[in-house]
Amino acid sequence: MSAALTQREVDVAVIGGGPAGVAAAFAARKEGAAKVVVFERDWEAGGILQQCIHPGFGLHTFGEELTGPEYMDRYLKLARESGVEFDLNTMVFQMDPPTLEGSGKQASFWTMNPQRGIERVKAKSVVLAMGCRERPAGALGIAGSRPAGVYTAGTAQRFVNMEGFMPGKKVVIMGTGDIGLIMARRMMLEGAEVVAVFEIMPWVSGLRRNIAQCLDDFGIPYYLEYNVCELHGKDRLEGVSVVQIDKNRKPVDGTLRFVGCDTLLLAVGLIPENELSKMAGLKLDSSTNGPVVNEFLQTSEECIFAAGNVVVVYDLVDFVSQQGERAGRSAALYAMRKLEKGPRDFQVETSPEIRVISPQKLSGGEDVTLFLRVAQPVEGRCRLYADPGIYSQNLRYARPGEMNEVKVSAEKLRALPSDVNSIKIGLEVL
Amino acid sequence: MIPVFRGDIPLQAQVKECGDYDIIIIGCGITGATIARELSRYKARTAVLERASDIPFGASRANSSMIHGGFDDEPGTAKAKFCPKGNRMYHSLSEELDFKLREFGSFVCAKGGQDERHLEMLYDQGKANGALGIEIVSGDKFREKEPNTASDITAALWCSSGAIVNNFEAALAFIENARQNGVDLFMETEVTGLLFDETRSAMRGVSTNRGNFNAPVVINASGVYADVISRMAGDDGFIIHPTRGEYFIFDRSVGDLVTSFLFSCPSEYGKGVTVTHTADDNLLIGPTSVQQTDRENRNTTPMGLDEAFDGARRLVPGIPRNMVITTFSGVRANTNTGDFYIKALDSPRGFINVAGIKSPGFTSAPAIAEHIGELIKDSLGDVVKLENDPAFVPTRKHIPRFIDLPMKERDRLASGDSRWGQIVCRCESVTEAQVVEAIRRGARTVAGVKLWVRPGTGRCQGGFCAPRVVEILARELGTSPLEITRHGGDSHMLTGRTKDPLLPGEPL
Repeated sequence: MSAALTQREVDVAVIGGGPAGVAAAFAARKEGAAKVVVFERDWEAGGILQQCIHPGFGLHTFGEELTGPEYMDRYLKLARESGVEFDLNTMVFQMDPPTLEGSGKQASFWTMNPQRGIERVKAKSVVLAMGCRERPAGALGIAGSRPAGVYTAGTAQRFVNMEGFMPGKKVVIMGTGDIGLIMARRMMLEGAEVVAVFEIMPWVSGLRRNIAQCLDDFGIPYYLEYNVCELHGKDRLEGVSVVQIDKNRKPVDGTLRFVGCDTLLLAVGLIPENELSKMAGLKLDSSTNGPVVNEFLQTSEECIFAAGNVVVVYDLVDFVSQQGERAGRSAALYAMRKLEKGPRDFQVETSPEIRVISPQKLSGGEDVTLFLRVAQPVEGRCRLYADPGIYSQNLRYARPGEMNEVKVSAEKLRALPSDVNSIKIGLEVL
Repeated sequence: MIPVFRGDIPLQAQVKECGDYDIIIIGCGITGATIARELSRYKARTAVLERASDIPFGASRANSSMIHGGFDDEPGTAKAKFCPKGNRMYHSLSEELDFKLREFGSFVCAKGGQDERHLEMLYDQGKANGALGIEIVSGDKFREKEPNTASDITAALWCSSGAIVNNFEAALAFIENARQNGVDLFMETEVTGLLFDETRSAMRGVSTNRGNFNAPVVINASGVYADVISRMAGDDGFIIHPTRGEYFIFDRSVGDLVTSFLFSCPSEYGKGVTVTHTADDNLLIGPTSVQQTDRENRNTTPMGLDEAFDGARRLVPGIPRNMVITTFSGVRANTNTGDFYIKALDSPRGFINVAGIKSPGFTSAPAIAEHIGELIKDSLGDVVKLENDPAFVPTRKHIPRFIDLPMKERDRLASGDSRWGQIVCRCESVTEAQVVEAIRRGARTVAGVKLWVRPGTGRCQGGFCAPRVVEILARELGTSPLEITRHGGDSHMLTGRTKDPLLPGEPL
């Protein structure tokens, strides 16, 4: 590309200034990387947590219940004090496949900032922390008209919590994702009527505690195995048709009904934001929709690391920060040419009971926590295991809305017979 | 109320009620817009009346965005006459008027003997109509170019002159150039009646929700309402059968499944769903074809969407349903006659029907527009004199498309104006400067901005950019975000403010 454009060089570049990115940058500095820069497209760091003004964050990390901005503030303070630089209002819009540079690889990408224009950044290592986006209405193919008043829950949250505007007065929520549940409560507190929540699956996809605190406490009914199948209204939404569905997702005769509302909020899933990962040529996992990573959260390109919801959608921000720190530490070590991978090359495989898992590859280089979600709820005793014989734990239940952890020690991995090249993670009902 | 637009008069001064004109065009779809642009070559005073809040609105918004080669229409019909000519005109118009047109070419795909005979028939028709660049190729040759297509396609009719446009840009380009050359455009202006002279033998104008517009020539380009307007003038020579078609649009990441425009042959499954790589690199599939009485019903239906998807999969089996960005439907102005209905009435003199401009209407529009100019000169010369305007400027520029610019040009723009460095829509890399310019040029709603510069057309469907677009619209129009609508009328994006965090009287 043009040489006239400004070129910058950094040691560890972190793309995204949300909880994963800020934790990564902090950890990278702590590990000894000299120039660590967070590239954040918004005018302030914090990511989506800035609009999550409800409490419930940080129980694991700080042992107390914080709001999103409070939680973020603590990490931002740590990062700033450690010497992390923040490049705000700066969008990374293009990423090049890494190139060989001496003994290792080097990443490069392009940024745009309203004051400085376009710049090319070369980085010894990169941490991808772009988070995720919400699945929009269009992707669901809901039939009917195209009125105003259909928003994803996160967009509505931005309007209410950041801009001070109400997206509607009488609300139906489709899906039981956590943001939808949080917004059900938020809309009630702001004086709107929340008619009901409809979930297509036979189980809740968010956290149980959010069902209790956001729906039950406010008397908002929720219906499982119901689909919102049609939108009505020419200008503004006037109502939705809902229908009960059977095990094969087919409508049940006689259950179709009209529900009047002026707003439909969607909480039907989050998708890791991997446009840059694709440009960099990273190998993606078709079940997580994020990059394939190893225990260092290193992707298929050795100088690119990834953490947080860009890898796999987590249930708690504490885990996101934890993973961010791990990726930041690894990226710093890589930038200093000190990252030592383990001697082995294991593929993580799963039984059908497991829907997503990350990391997907292990080298036996470091103790690691695998994060996974089960495919469907098991309400009763079950056993989570890693074969051959390296982990086993009994659980009281396993639910898709809450992630499970499998802790695997590097030592145990290294001790496995040399003909073992895969680790099988599974769940059995007891 | 949303302002109407008059030539290059600044925004604030644009609200204008009615007026006296030589020619009034009812409807600003592609037909009205191309006629307006054609007539702007002349000194005549022309006004375009559009009932919607955004352009394009009807079938010109929701269609396959195809510039047809001209082989699909029976020789001797108006369609066969205008389509190949329109095709040739588009290739140069896209440069003059700076709208996106990509010369991808098209294939009609045959599966077996009966279909192949259909290809031969189309080939002969194409030759008779003067369609350019047509050739029948084998299934294998076809799959060399389109490797992701079904293995049971045995032959295909290639048409190298087939092209894809950004249909929003095209319609906007025609009307904007017309406005630059003095045509007045009135938005949210719905014709409620026609005005005649005392003997009802000549046109005097139209009445609208804004009052009367006077003109001795009235051109009916009102799409699905054309028969209603025509009947007001006493011509019931055609009936509009509104025909709804449903579409899917897919993420850019699967746009490359095909590199051209693919038609199916008509079959037991219907007239045939198409699959195309759009001008903006998405994948577009559809349409279905459902005749209905309602002119406004643009609903999508589970059945219709399944039909479109299944039809498309017969051409390209690997289309992934989970990569859908959105679905939409459009209502085409089919007529009972099956052909375009283009006719100047003897009485009342001055009334011209340009009706039933359905597929290949978008392609034919510039050729029809030229024909209308000639028609007025030939048969209405005594009423309106079409005298060349020496000040006519045939070119205009679209708002720079940031996503398509080379890196250096992006940097140049971003360094000169910080709004060019501020991305509003992440998915489609749309900058604040583009949104501001779209509003300056006439966008008044969230949908309007989207038609101009594409924020919200990407995979997140406005999840991130909608609040920003609302904010910029409110700022640029000097109004509250509460006044901003999705697509005009009562389609407000927001319903009120949140509770005040302070008690009354409490200091900040």
